[in-house]
Amino acid sequence: MKEILTRMGDGERVTMSVSQVKEDLEAGTRDAADRGKIPELTAAELEQLLEIFQDQNRIVGVSPGEEVVLTHDIGTLRLMGDQANSGVGIPLSRMQGILIHERAFAADTMELGHIDYSFKPIKPVISMEMQEYELASLVTIVPLFYGAMPNLGTYFRPDGPFGNPSDLLPQGKIREAREAQEGAAEHAARDMFYISNKLYSVGCDGINFDTTAAAGDADFYATLNAVAEIKKAMPSLTVEVGMAGEFILGIHSELFFNGERLAGMYPHRQVKMAEAAGADIFGPVVNTNTSKSMPWNLARAVTFVKHTVEVSNIPIHANVGMGVGGVPVFETPPIDCVTRTSKAMVQIAKVDGL
Amino acid sequence: MVDKKEILRRAAKSVLEADQEEAERVAREAVEAGIDPFLVINEGFSKGMAEAGELFERGELYLPHLIVASEGMVSAISILEAAMTQKKEKKTGVAVIGTIEGDIHDIGKGIVATMLRVYGFEVHDLGRDVPLKNFVETAKKVNADIIGSSALMTTTMTGQKTLEQELKKAGLRDKVKTMVGGAVVTQRWANKIGADAYAENAIEAIAKARELLG
Repeated sequence: MKEILTRMGDGERVTMSVSQVKEDLEAGTRDAADRGKIPELTAAELEQLLEIFQDQNRIVGVSPGEEVVLTHDIGTLRLMGDQANSGVGIPLSRMQGILIHERAFAADTMELGHIDYSFKPIKPVISMEMQEYELASLVTIVPLFYGAMPNLGTYFRPDGPFGNPSDLLPQGKIREAREAQEGAAEHAARDMFYISNKLYSVGCDGINFDTTAAAGDADFYATLNAVAEIKKAMPSLTVEVGMAGEFILGIHSELFFNGERLAGMYPHRQVKMAEAAGADIFGPVVNTNTSKSMPWNLARAVTFVKHTVEVSNIPIHANVGMGVGGVPVFETPPIDCVTRTSKAMVQIAKVDGL
Repeated sequence: MVDKKEILRRAAKSVLEADQEEAERVAREAVEAGIDPFLVINEGFSKGMAEAGELFERGELYLPHLIVASEGMVSAISILEAAMTQKKEKKTGVAVIGTIEGDIHDIGKGIVATMLRVYGFEVHDLGRDVPLKNFVETAKKVNADIIGSSALMTTTMTGQKTLEQELKKAGLRDKVKTMVGGAVVTQRWANKIGADAYAENAIEAIAKARELLG
């Protein structure tokens, strides 16, 4: 029987029989449906996924007319950073990085990002960022975002003024941990608004809230509140909300937005919160399981993203990169995996962008 | 007469519902009724904890709840452990355990340490964010049979590989068995770095630790 060369979730090359791939595809979609309480992929969609894996070409793609918008988060750092920073270690300026993505890689949107890539450290250097953004926007044609992570962790000790839930919770100080998160969320929302407002004043096209909810439900809460305030004050500023993980970790667990508890939300519910806050684009994340095969991971990711697209009223740009969307956890994601994931996300999940 | 099945069911439920008072009450009733403490831990409290862990992993139960649940379990186990002290025939082995440097997650590691104690191990819990040299130095000092390391992040799991190398350098690797665990760790990772065993949860950790020491 013909064998399929694919990978495990940690990037290791493996060979699987057609029936093994089929089994993993079915198990992957079942797992997503079970966890998210959403529909499984149909038999026809699973067959389509199998065909993508059976394709002998190392790189796969979509037909003319099916192309979607390709965006890059942390783009300026992707080329400069070394492998430990998910980059390729080429000494370049941020401006050169932006121009290479636009002119050589044909990116449809691009973004400027601070080297730390978290909102909080941008505050003291905001004037520099405004200047850099203005210069970059004058030489680019594609929409130029400013991207950063809400990263609520930077507001907890030792990096910030609030008690660290990682210290407080193991001591059983649940009330104190919750108060610390509420305080941090308030500060973070204020900082995100301040930075967005400053960038808006120099003509910023959009803000990309990247890796949202990395520190749990309070991180998501802070971002949603910041987005709501930003859209109220600056309606023409495009806002993209990209996620950190497939469900919102309940580190606080009692935070609500638009009447709904944020903890435990999967992508199809997260997007409704982003919509309610006024976001223009949503970037769902589905985590890759390193112990499972790529067929299992991709079927699972497509199941979540497809349903998110179906319920969403705003464009969905799925995250496809290291450890997310079905792509293995590997510093430089293998091209065979990235292109298979991209094809499946476009043709089956029907995403608007990647 | 106390119903053994009912005690086990209540033990599991008390952990799942994060009811510390009930967990302690069940432990005391089990001791008074002479029910095997190992059975109460394995078939009662641990089952509840496993279910709570599964719900947390699926996003259906949240961290504060899990913390209270694990506190209740640890508290109940300490009651059972005290009752078992006289029963212990001999030391099962010496274990050094800790969370790898840079990683502050230690709920799972803490439960493994408690369970090892329950099963007769002399446990040296180094805590969290432990420099690798501390594993090596402590293992040498206490003449450890097993070193268990936990990592919850991809950035810290590489420390488990370095630990294997450091143990070799110190001439200890042939004298101790190594075990790895943590959310991002897999059997494949254990094989890759040359660890003697991987355990997904506390129950499996105990079984494998006992197996390793024959």
